[in-house]
Amino acid sequence: MRASLVAWAVGLVVLTLLYVAGTPLWFNAAAPPILGLPPIVFWFVLLPAVSPVLIGLVYLVDRSAGGIGTGEGEQ
Amino acid sequence: MSETAAILAFVALGVLLVTWIGIRGGSKASSTLEGWVLNSRLMGPVLVWFLLGTEIYTSFTFLGLAGFAYARGGGVFYNVATNDVAYAFGFFVLPAVWLIGRRFGYLTQADFIAGRYGSQGLGILVAAASAVILIPYIDLNIQGLGAILKVVSGGALNLRLAELIAFVVLAVAVYAGGIRGNAWQAVIKDVLMFVAIATLFVVVPLHFFGGFGAMMDKLGSAAAAHVVIPGHGSKVGVPWFISTVLLTGFGQWMWPQWFAVGFTAKGPRTLKLQAVFMPLYQVVKVAVILIGFAAVLIFAGQKVPGNEVVMRLAERSFPGWFLAIFVLAAVLSAIVPAGSIIVTSCTLIAHNVVAKLRPATSERAVFVLTRWLAFPVTLAALLLAIAAPALIVVILLVAYDFIAQLLPAVVIGGLFWRRATLPGVVAGILVGWGLSAYWLLTKHGPVLSLNSGLVALLANIAVFVVVSLATRPPEEKVVAPVMAAVWGSGRGT
Repeated sequence: MRASLVAWAVGLVVLTLLYVAGTPLWFNAAAPPILGLPPIVFWFVLLPAVSPVLIGLVYLVDRSAGGIGTGEGEQ
Repeated sequence: MSETAAILAFVALGVLLVTWIGIRGGSKASSTLEGWVLNSRLMGPVLVWFLLGTEIYTSFTFLGLAGFAYARGGGVFYNVATNDVAYAFGFFVLPAVWLIGRRFGYLTQADFIAGRYGSQGLGILVAAASAVILIPYIDLNIQGLGAILKVVSGGALNLRLAELIAFVVLAVAVYAGGIRGNAWQAVIKDVLMFVAIATLFVVVPLHFFGGFGAMMDKLGSAAAAHVVIPGHGSKVGVPWFISTVLLTGFGQWMWPQWFAVGFTAKGPRTLKLQAVFMPLYQVVKVAVILIGFAAVLIFAGQKVPGNEVVMRLAERSFPGWFLAIFVLAAVLSAIVPAGSIIVTSCTLIAHNVVAKLRPATSERAVFVLTRWLAFPVTLAALLLAIAAPALIVVILLVAYDFIAQLLPAVVIGGLFWRRATLPGVVAGILVGWGLSAYWLLTKHGPVLSLNSGLVALLANIAVFVVVSLATRPPEEKVVAPVMAAVWGSGRGT
């Protein structure tokens, strides 16, 4: 349980920081383009794609560590 | 038959078909209150994904988000960040809520709060306040429907009559199909919405700019000041963006209709998978936002109401046959999400207010009342939309800030902190609600450049902690079973 809780907390903090700190610090600009997109648009296309990967990793840790409610109610 | 009449006829037939699907899909599962409200906690990952998708991605996503991007610029990106933070937050919170809900047979968020703090009075207060806040949310969808029909019909349609018919049809579907029927309607609505937005996202750059690259080049040059935060002419800046993401991201699951999704699922794994895969839905929001930005260049020099931007672009871009499909998708995005809000409102009123004030009411009577309330609740929302549109705006302004004030009670005290007490929760909520109401109703706007709702929430948490520590610890027989449902015996801080 502890490992899955730590993984969740780390995943949540990282994702939140990417949005609330990464945006104003590095990507709040319209030029120069990144992969043909204004940087802020690039960032908000990238992060929703990164999010499933990040939380997917949390899911894998949670499953192997027997996280909250593992195996309950899914029969 | 004119093209407009043909489109409206197609949309009417489509709405009737989706209503029938909702009734067919949910009537069997809706023979008990738990079946009607929660599909008896049997929904698997796919249906929950579509149900959450339809509840979160509404006519606001379809129309309002493009309007926000068009009118106010880059600040609109908060709305993308909000959901992703919320999904990650829900990875632990929703399964924990599910475990407690199944252990005690809870149907609503108010049940959860009343159970954790051993106070039916607090449950009634939260249920009544939530039900009041939800009705204007139904109105928001009614207004979305009105905006769509106004553009499509060129003002020739009797909007009030069309709204009345649409929402009576919705109430019938909700009455007969419950939440499972709504989830099946959501599948149709979500698929159509994906197709409609994806097509618009491809056609607008080709039609107006000659290609996607050319549109991006123009956004990065001619609209450069508009697409960044705070956006051209906008009063909100980076501190507002950050504080709004924190408030709405961590507060999202406090909305009673979304919180209840935590009860409908088959189990914790289903809910964890939502946290992984729901962000894929965000591509719809990003596409709509880019369409809203593009509209700044397309409608340069014109004043177009924000909510009409998407429909006007669709009208100018699509042939009649596809416009009909597009309008159907937009209409369903206004009607279907209101279904789950109506289910939640009815349950809060009947199960958490009426049944608790009159404990002698039988379970069957509560179920019958809950279902029938679908009609007066829908009608009340319609009447409010007609009679007091200004009141709707006021309630909606305070809605998110008010709902987010439940966070300490539900998450901090409800899942983690055993020492949280009833007086602490009540004092914190009252401080949070009071500050939110004061700042929002006096049109204060941001406080110290921050979202005022977050400042109110921080004050709420401070009061919640101090008063909890200053008052007698809660009875172990009330708290221990709740914490044990999540952590096993002896856990929680």
